[in-house]
Amino acid sequence: MAGAGGGGCPAGNDFQWCFSQVKGAVDEDVAEADIISTVEFNYSGDLLATGDKGGRVVIFQREQENKIRPHSRGEYNVYSTFQSHEPEFDYLKSLEIEEKINKIRWLPQQNAAHFLLSTNDDLRINLWHLEITDRSFNIVDIKPANMEELTEVITAAEFHPHQCNVLVYSSSKGTIRLCDMRSSALCDRHSKFFEEPEDPSSRSFFSEIISSISDVKFSHSGRYMMTRDYLSVKVWDLNMESRPVETHQVHEYLRSKLCSLYENDCIFDKFECCWNGSDSAVMTGSYNNFFRMFDRSTRRDVTLEASRESSKPRASLKPRKVCAGGKRKKDEISVDSLDFNKKILHTAWHPVDNVIAVAATNNLYIFQDKAN
Amino acid sequence: MEVQKEAQRIMTLSVWKMYHSRMQRGGLRLHRSLQLSLVMRSARELYLSAKVEAQEPEVPLPPSESPDPRLHPRREAETAAEAAPPDGEQPSPEPMDTQEEAPGAEETPGRVARPPAKVSRKRRSSSLSDGGDAGLVPSKKARLEEEEEKEASSEVPDRLQPPPTQAEGAFPNLARVLQRRFSGLLNCSPAAPPTPPPACEAVPACRPADSMLNVLVRAVVAF
Repeated sequence: MAGAGGGGCPAGNDFQWCFSQVKGAVDEDVAEADIISTVEFNYSGDLLATGDKGGRVVIFQREQENKIRPHSRGEYNVYSTFQSHEPEFDYLKSLEIEEKINKIRWLPQQNAAHFLLSTNDDLRINLWHLEITDRSFNIVDIKPANMEELTEVITAAEFHPHQCNVLVYSSSKGTIRLCDMRSSALCDRHSKFFEEPEDPSSRSFFSEIISSISDVKFSHSGRYMMTRDYLSVKVWDLNMESRPVETHQVHEYLRSKLCSLYENDCIFDKFECCWNGSDSAVMTGSYNNFFRMFDRSTRRDVTLEASRESSKPRASLKPRKVCAGGKRKKDEISVDSLDFNKKILHTAWHPVDNVIAVAATNNLYIFQDKAN
Repeated sequence: MEVQKEAQRIMTLSVWKMYHSRMQRGGLRLHRSLQLSLVMRSARELYLSAKVEAQEPEVPLPPSESPDPRLHPRREAETAAEAAPPDGEQPSPEPMDTQEEAPGAEETPGRVARPPAKVSRKRRSSSLSDGGDAGLVPSKKARLEEEEEKEASSEVPDRLQPPPTQAEGAFPNLARVLQRRFSGLLNCSPAAPPTPPPACEAVPACRPADSMLNVLVRAVVAF
């Protein structure tokens, strides 16, 4: 199970993605508490954690070589599960605080890193020392003195993988700010500001909503970062602030459907994205339980589906295609037939191997490359 | 005229969404409310500019409204986009696209469905764990059941009602516009959103019901 396949090799069409496992109930009637809200591999890839809307965390562990059960090698099985959060009630504001797990981040074990970022607040980023639980450092605060002047909120943030003083945060306006904590304690002034000029020809009522960044992820190398907005994935070179170096269209056929997607609230869906171990490919989810992979070197992309129907052991996933207009070919699916209730918001890629975890509502699908 | 109708429809839809978002667990979300207000603002701008073009009498806008300069270039860009789509194969600009739909109709692409108003949050007995690991699954019992009963009796709207202050808060100008311009619209709009969930129409138990408009305006200024 060594990670030979993960280094330097492109993903997407060059690999045969095969079904490996699926976790979760088969019921059509899904309980909201069981909807998966986050998926994360640990640094070695031996542990895989999910969090759900009911506040529960489930940790899967990869099986090692086992002479007694050779077929189970590489399988992820439940290692532990616990109730992480319970619903709380804020009596002062008469608000119920939901217990949904927003994010899971594994601590690196090889060094003595003691810090983590929390960005549950829309307007502030706080830095916590893990041994000091009653207070934190506020490092970014974009709350205006007068809330009438509020124009944007923080949507995602991440530390640089190698430079512990550097972090980025994205905004609802489609901008990314890179901050250096060495330059000042309060990072309200950014070191770098990333924004792509808007295309005036594509302006609509919903331009601001679809430009909002739902996820930001550094590449493993630390040289690039990737952002996800509603219709696309963009790769940015940290040395160039004026525009992304790559833009990958996830589901451009939805651009003409934005009004309908606004009506059914799908336009507010927050998709995540992830890099493969070698940074040669990126992945993100879409609707109809489709997920997309983009090979950065060959510029090829593929659409795959997480479904029970194609969940035979080691069955290869067949690429899917959406027909955006014109005559629909065989095996293509038309835009109007897409199921917008089946959305893949959370995906994770093993840090070394070509193994991916895809959360489809209340099910967790694990796929791996045939070579594995 | 069609543009004006579409803008009006989107405004109504946005206000209804703002109101409905107060009913959800956790109350108003700042990001969602901001996005809704941006759409409302865009629709309002288009609606008002369409009225000006139709040479209808208009109440002058307060000078402090629409401070965002991007709104004005956008109006021109939208007009240009509607007049001449650059490429026949490209999807139509948004307002034109929705003209095919009857106002208030439920037409949505394929199986697009509204999110269900009431979804059972109660967890199934086994979820991600395999059958053999059922003993590790933590169970949620009394607390969830109490919450479901509370929701069923529609007490949630009461708890989430903000204090009755108006015209101050995040978007006071927008609130004033809503009161002034859309009171008739909201009370008897033909383009009302389809089938709002019953919880939105539950009468508060503690005090006399407010008019829809007042509640909606408070929703905008709540935070």
